[in-house]
Amino acid sequence: MVAADFIEQLLNGLTLGMVYVLLAAGLSVIFGVMDVINFSHGELFALGAYFSLSIIAPFGAGTGFWIAIVVAPVVVGLIGAAIERTTVRPLYGRDPLYHILLTFGLVLVINDVIRLIWGTQQRQLAVPEYLSRPVSILGVQVSVYNYFMIVFAALLAVVTWYLLNRTKYGMIIRAGSQDREMVRNVGIDIDQYYTLVFGVGAALAAVAGIVLGGYQNVNTGMGNSVIIPAFVVVVLGGLGSFRGAVFGGLLVGVVQTLMRAYSGSVLATFGDTTLTVPNLEGLTVYLLMIAVLLVKPQGLFGTRGEESDGEGEILVGGYGGVLADSTRVRLGGIAVVALALAPIAILFMGDQYYLVVLNEILIWAIFALSLDIVMGYAGLVPLGHTMFYGVGAYTAALVMLHYSQSVFVVLLGAILICAVLAWVVGSLSIRVSGVYFAMITLAFAELLYSAVFKFDFTGGSDGLLGFEAFLGLGTVGESLSNIEFGLLGYELGQQFVFYYLALLIAVLSFLFARRMMNAPFGSVLQSIRESEERAEFIGYDVNRYKRRAFVISGGMAGLAGGLLAVSPSTVIISPDQTLNWIHSGEVIVIALFGGMGTLYGPMIGSGVFFGAEEFLSSYTDQWRLIIGTMFILFVLFVPRGIVSIPSLVAQRLETANNADGAVDMDEPEVRSDD
Amino acid sequence: MTETVLETDGLTKRFGKLTAVDDVSLSVSDGEFRSVIGPNGAGKTTTFNLITGALSPSEGVVRFKGEDITNVAPHERVGRGLGRSFQITNVFGGLTVRENVRLAAQSVYSDEINPGEALFRDKNGFEEIAEQTRTVLEQIGLQDRADEHAEALAYGDQRRLELGLVLATDPDLVMLDEPTAGMSSEETQATMNLIDEVLSDRSLMLIEHDIDLVMRVSDRITVLTRGEELASGTPEEIANNEDVRDAYLGGVRE
Repeated sequence: MVAADFIEQLLNGLTLGMVYVLLAAGLSVIFGVMDVINFSHGELFALGAYFSLSIIAPFGAGTGFWIAIVVAPVVVGLIGAAIERTTVRPLYGRDPLYHILLTFGLVLVINDVIRLIWGTQQRQLAVPEYLSRPVSILGVQVSVYNYFMIVFAALLAVVTWYLLNRTKYGMIIRAGSQDREMVRNVGIDIDQYYTLVFGVGAALAAVAGIVLGGYQNVNTGMGNSVIIPAFVVVVLGGLGSFRGAVFGGLLVGVVQTLMRAYSGSVLATFGDTTLTVPNLEGLTVYLLMIAVLLVKPQGLFGTRGEESDGEGEILVGGYGGVLADSTRVRLGGIAVVALALAPIAILFMGDQYYLVVLNEILIWAIFALSLDIVMGYAGLVPLGHTMFYGVGAYTAALVMLHYSQSVFVVLLGAILICAVLAWVVGSLSIRVSGVYFAMITLAFAELLYSAVFKFDFTGGSDGLLGFEAFLGLGTVGESLSNIEFGLLGYELGQQFVFYYLALLIAVLSFLFARRMMNAPFGSVLQSIRESEERAEFIGYDVNRYKRRAFVISGGMAGLAGGLLAVSPSTVIISPDQTLNWIHSGEVIVIALFGGMGTLYGPMIGSGVFFGAEEFLSSYTDQWRLIIGTMFILFVLFVPRGIVSIPSLVAQRLETANNADGAVDMDEPEVRSDD
Repeated sequence: MTETVLETDGLTKRFGKLTAVDDVSLSVSDGEFRSVIGPNGAGKTTTFNLITGALSPSEGVVRFKGEDITNVAPHERVGRGLGRSFQITNVFGGLTVRENVRLAAQSVYSDEINPGEALFRDKNGFEEIAEQTRTVLEQIGLQDRADEHAEALAYGDQRRLELGLVLATDPDLVMLDEPTAGMSSEETQATMNLIDEVLSDRSLMLIEHDIDLVMRVSDRITVLTRGEELASGTPEEIANNEDVRDAYLGGVRE
């Protein structure tokens, strides 16, 4: 019976694994050939399931399912090809970072379109009756659908393998994933194949969506829930490797399912000691991913050398733009004064809710600033930066619950714990570079995200609550919630006090970061961003500088997280609010959107992002669609972010003024042979 | 002969079955201008990378100023006085010319900067570094363009800056990897003049393709073929060496 049970779980694991294979195959080949980290792959997966819902409805499950499984992937494939043509194509040659911003925008857009068309309710995808029947083979009972999924996905995988390995197109694509430049050099226009690869990848994702939709259900969060496991699969197998995607997909599917089924169960008993399976459900795959990245960064089947391509250019916020330094300092001063006076305006409007929004903006401004230190200055792109935000928040809450309520102790604790965490993660991660660094930080963040669900002291999935901050030290001071005083007949409460605290900390953090960037340490960081190799050969220990930058950045992100916990609007610190990977994506997007490498750009980005979100969501339910579109337009047309708009405008005016043979400011290309 | 500044002993580098550098033992004296020549695939660049630390050898030892530096990290070798220039200009394009040089100068002094200063003191407030920066800018003749971004410089000026970065780290031995690759004969001449001008008081090791150039400027020449040292000697000795003529001079120069 035990064996039958085990085989049943194994079959479940293979079923899930096959879905991952289909997802990861496209994701991996897209990355391998085009260097695009495609976050929207999960939404294309969901789109496949939703299209088939609409196709099945008029025909009924019997024939509709079969029509859907052919038609829906074709439609999604065409959409994928169109996406590649219109949005991804202009970005080739730029750093993969910009694909994160772009595809993150696409996630918002596609997800919102799905909500708009199909609604937010969970739906059931009807499969033919003869597929959903349970069947018992050799005492193992699973539904026919399991076998169908395994066989169908395996067939598709074989077909894909055949196309990649036995056809001319496939050869070219595989060659492209090994060395794109070389393919160009032998006279093949590899760019033409990108649309095909992206389209086929999208179609495979759509198939996976339909197949999994029939197995579980169809909901708006389904894309979000598979994208991270899919990345794990791709990294485990090796970026760009189809064989790796197949192996990695099955491995992750089986490991996930078995760990879920057998966590905590007794493995064997030796006299007094019992050997149990450790309760590592959800953690195992990330531990595996970290181990693989550390030992063999190119993945189990990867053949690409580390950084085989010269990385694309990272566009920072421009060298101060057209505004003179003194003007910028004055503008900064005005901004701070305006922020300091904002509560008074809010007081007169009588709606304290705006203060809550401003508090959120300030917290995220610090978070985005911390990211800019590593991303905009040291050239490191962490995809798991929210681990520091989250751990900072958890640390702060735990300190308040168990140790001290003093705001100062709480925030200091959050900074210190996160700095230590950043040192550990940084020491391990900084050895690998580029996209591998991004992925390993993602794995650490996901590991922590899964871990907080496991422990009692972190409150599991409920999170922590019942903490309160005390503004002061020791017995001198006042509980934040008790603070209330009147001014000109208006009631001023804890939101006001917290606002000024957050504003003060945000301004100090900015001044700290600016000071640091103008000091010897920061200047070395900037040289590393410009040319890591050169920095090394004028005598700097590049990894040590990066690690220190990472520690400072982690500490500052921890401070932002700590402030979140201290904030009077925060009642609960939960895993999803703090450690969900989506926040890592958001903070990158905010920093890029504002203009990275400027320190103030990401802070402005936070203001505009949350301001727009607040403003738009009060007018329309489709605010994600609008913000997503905004990201896409920005990454295409204003890649240096909001802070570069003045210089873009000035440039336009300039070209308009001297229309005859005007000099383009952005292209100092006259350097060649004079 | 004066003191030995750089010495390699049985230096060997294998990539799989290929032995790129095979038992090379060099010795460069203080103040010497040494060139390493050889046809394509002779192991010049690999030797260069083994000495600068970009690669670690399969066997053998690198000694610099009498100390074994075989397992010393590249940045640490720079700190000890082993500078290198890049074949393809590699400067900090987005930073000003002055900042480029200042960064190189700062690296020499970074041991004297305490952590607090490193984080908070204005980078331009260190008098010794500023002084060194000014001197180097003058030597490479870019003091008038110090506030421009490096990427806006003309190619020749970028090469100057490249050498300025090496110079600012105050090296005892400078490794130059084909500094005139892809240049016209005038540019080549200008670059060699510059090297002569700013680096002549230091030991130099030049990896080069161009035999005529090497014959003119070197004190001693080492010829590599297929990873092995074929001969070492003064330009005259090399020019008169039968083996060299057979293996290199005769064959490759059409």
